[in-house]
Amino acid sequence: MSRTTLSPRRERLARLGRRALWRLAGGILVLWAVATLTFFALRLMPGDPVLAILGGPSGNPTAETIAEATREYGLDKPLPVQYALYLGRLVQGDLGISYSQHLPVTRVLAQQSWPTLELTLSSLALAWLLVLALTVVTAGRRRWLASLASLAETLAAALPHFWLGILLLALFAFGLRLFPPAGSDGWRTLVLPSIALAIPLAGFIAQVTRESLELTLEQPFVLTARTRGLSDLAVRFKHALRHAVLPGVSLSGWAIGALISGAVVIEVIFSRKGLGRQLYQAVQAQDLPLTIGISLVVAAGYVLANIVVDLLYQWLDPRQQGNPA
Amino acid sequence: MREPAQPLQRHRPRPRSPRIYPHIACATLCSLLLGCGQDSSTVTRSTQPVSGGTLVYATDREPTCLDPHVAGDMPQVFVAQQYLDSLVSMDQQGRIGPWLAKSWEVSADGLSYSFHLRNDVHFTDGTPFNAAAVKANLDHMANPKTQSSTAGGYIRQYRSTEVRDEFTAVVHLATPYAAFLEVLAQGFLGIQSPTALLRPRDVNCESPVGSGPFKVVRWERQSQVELVRNPDYNWAPPTARHQGPAWLERIVWKFILEPSVRFASLQAGEVDVIEALPPESHEAARRNPDLTLIIAQRPGNPTNGTLNITRAPFDDLRVREAFVRSADIEGALKSVYFSEFPRAGGPLSPATRFYSADFQHAQDYDPARAARLLDEAGWTQRDSEGYRTRNGQRLQVHVVMGNRTPPSEYTLWEQVQATTRLAGFELIVEQMSDVQATKRQADWDYDIRLGYWNTNTADVLRIIFSSEFIRPAGVGGYHQNTAGFADPAFDGILQQALATQDAEQRRGLYYQAQQIASAQYLQLTTYPQSTRLGIYKTTQGVRLEPSLAVTYLYDAWVNK
Repeated sequence: MSRTTLSPRRERLARLGRRALWRLAGGILVLWAVATLTFFALRLMPGDPVLAILGGPSGNPTAETIAEATREYGLDKPLPVQYALYLGRLVQGDLGISYSQHLPVTRVLAQQSWPTLELTLSSLALAWLLVLALTVVTAGRRRWLASLASLAETLAAALPHFWLGILLLALFAFGLRLFPPAGSDGWRTLVLPSIALAIPLAGFIAQVTRESLELTLEQPFVLTARTRGLSDLAVRFKHALRHAVLPGVSLSGWAIGALISGAVVIEVIFSRKGLGRQLYQAVQAQDLPLTIGISLVVAAGYVLANIVVDLLYQWLDPRQQGNPA
Repeated sequence: MREPAQPLQRHRPRPRSPRIYPHIACATLCSLLLGCGQDSSTVTRSTQPVSGGTLVYATDREPTCLDPHVAGDMPQVFVAQQYLDSLVSMDQQGRIGPWLAKSWEVSADGLSYSFHLRNDVHFTDGTPFNAAAVKANLDHMANPKTQSSTAGGYIRQYRSTEVRDEFTAVVHLATPYAAFLEVLAQGFLGIQSPTALLRPRDVNCESPVGSGPFKVVRWERQSQVELVRNPDYNWAPPTARHQGPAWLERIVWKFILEPSVRFASLQAGEVDVIEALPPESHEAARRNPDLTLIIAQRPGNPTNGTLNITRAPFDDLRVREAFVRSADIEGALKSVYFSEFPRAGGPLSPATRFYSADFQHAQDYDPARAARLLDEAGWTQRDSEGYRTRNGQRLQVHVVMGNRTPPSEYTLWEQVQATTRLAGFELIVEQMSDVQATKRQADWDYDIRLGYWNTNTADVLRIIFSSEFIRPAGVGGYHQNTAGFADPAFDGILQQALATQDAEQRRGLYYQAQQIASAQYLQLTTYPQSTRLGIYKTTQGVRLEPSLAVTYLYDAWVNK
């Protein structure tokens, strides 16, 4: 088929496909780098990994036990060989056996990924809800109202997760007993952790969105819309918002990473299942396969989120499609 | 935390994120302000056990494996005590009684133990309990593939088990070992189904099978373990309060890391029993009419800093005593643990059989004596910063801590640092990764290592102070005798104590051993390890199994 017969629409789709492929290839490179860095960072830590496996300084293994474990985990081979073997298995989807959990890493991931994903997504959704409620209603209003809202956003963005988590626990779980303080089954256990993660994130996104919304509201097309007799809220939601959310959307890709690092703390405080808490324990136990496994999943989630944001950006802003990066 | 050297049976307090910790007090305070005093309706507590119902238990640390033969950490034995039985039982006084073994004889040379077994016991998978099962279990613990810590410390003497007939097992040891029956009473050496033990280690970790009053049905990681009643159970130990199946239908064993959250969940009645009640909540728990407390010290070697006597300055007994005497531990326990933890003054915890109170005060704070001793030892000069010196060298000691050392323990040692400084010691606290700390220990590159050892026998003195444990246990190169103490007379006393079954003779020998260890100032002991339970008003009959002060829910019932 000759190039000239391609319709502009198909050509745009093909370009989008190529773009997605390139980004995927980049993503795989990132994953390889994560696996390699984590592998060497953990392996080159001083001390014998067998001792970490067998309970660290507090274990009391016999010589036979140590020799057996060294053999079992392949730690008797030279480091480059261990690395090559590890990568080889990784390509086949075998992440190995967790030293500290006595489980295949893939099973740990299968058990712990969903609660973290659930927490991350609900926090992101909640954060956006807060952003829209706060910015669309207050941007470009009376000066004092806008500055008050802006101050609230700055404060929210600066709140540490653990502080917020403990405050929410004290108020709503211990005090008013509205929500359970611990656990990870049912939507009620999801409320407080999501709020703790969403508030600082909402502060960040709202700051950018407010600025861009205020710029948009000064654009001539907004004036045009107003002269057509549209109500103020309709103008804000139907016309201005689509322009103003763009920086916020690209920030959301970054936010996935921020949320997962926040999840480490929040899952510990709220005794939730999840990758964050598992990662915290895996690093402490110097559990190499599990640490790499979780890092890979988190990195993959991050890469994927950024691809989605990229595509979403294209969809929201048709101008971007004309000049692909 | 047996963090330094040895714990076979170690209990490391839940590692906390240092960033979170300072805020716990705030959460506790809030919970005090807001959480108490609600729902004060009193439930009439019936002393009549009720059959059925679910008990929700919450603890801090999750085991890494439910089979207690693998590794050997305290959280494992707490779960194991609910679904495993042991060969023998131990009562409050530390005496050994029958359980799965009806009776036993020990050969005159102390090398063979003949166990006569119950013939009416089966495991929850239907496998019958017999002599072959005993053999399978001891062999399993001794097998290097099991990765057992128990094998290294407690049954190193084990050689083989001979199945004399269906219900007679003869265990052969390499050397006399009178503490064998005591360690067999620990849940760590609980008896599992030999059929289940044939499966790979990691499978058995997840779904172990015993003959106990409950059986493990599900383990949801980072959340809970579920156990249900074993309806066939009819072989409770003589220490139990009833016979037949357990009262409880089901146990949900939850893991809640944050101490303040655990305590708040108990106050709200969302959980029935919590373990590792934080010391800062003891007073609030006592004042709350809905709660009862069970606090028991664990037997073994109390929490301590062990002094490395193989190098200066602690190679000098006078300097060791001066250091110990210049540390105000009573004051530190008051400010760090609100006086909730008693002082341990001797090498054995008061809960250990053959403990003697005579050595309780050998470590009392006495700065005047410390100063005199340091003068005698030649540390007479002071440098510009106030530290003592000898031949121009400063009196410096390094304490090596792993990064899992809990913040409260760190604070305790900061207080030791402050008070020993007045006597002229410069105490340098070095915190590093656990594996690095192990390396430093293996190289004998420390002056002080923190540790404790929970076990139900005075034979622990042999593991921590006898010359046979100076050599590393394995190629990893770390030793259990962190002090580096080697004294043939001391070794001889402990060997003699293992060669006799006579309780009075053992008492006398362990008295001598405690006397020597105490007079040598090998450790700065701080407080005994303890099990601390908070129990909500709807639950009764919860007890601690005496061998390691482990929660035992067989006799418990709920009235909700």
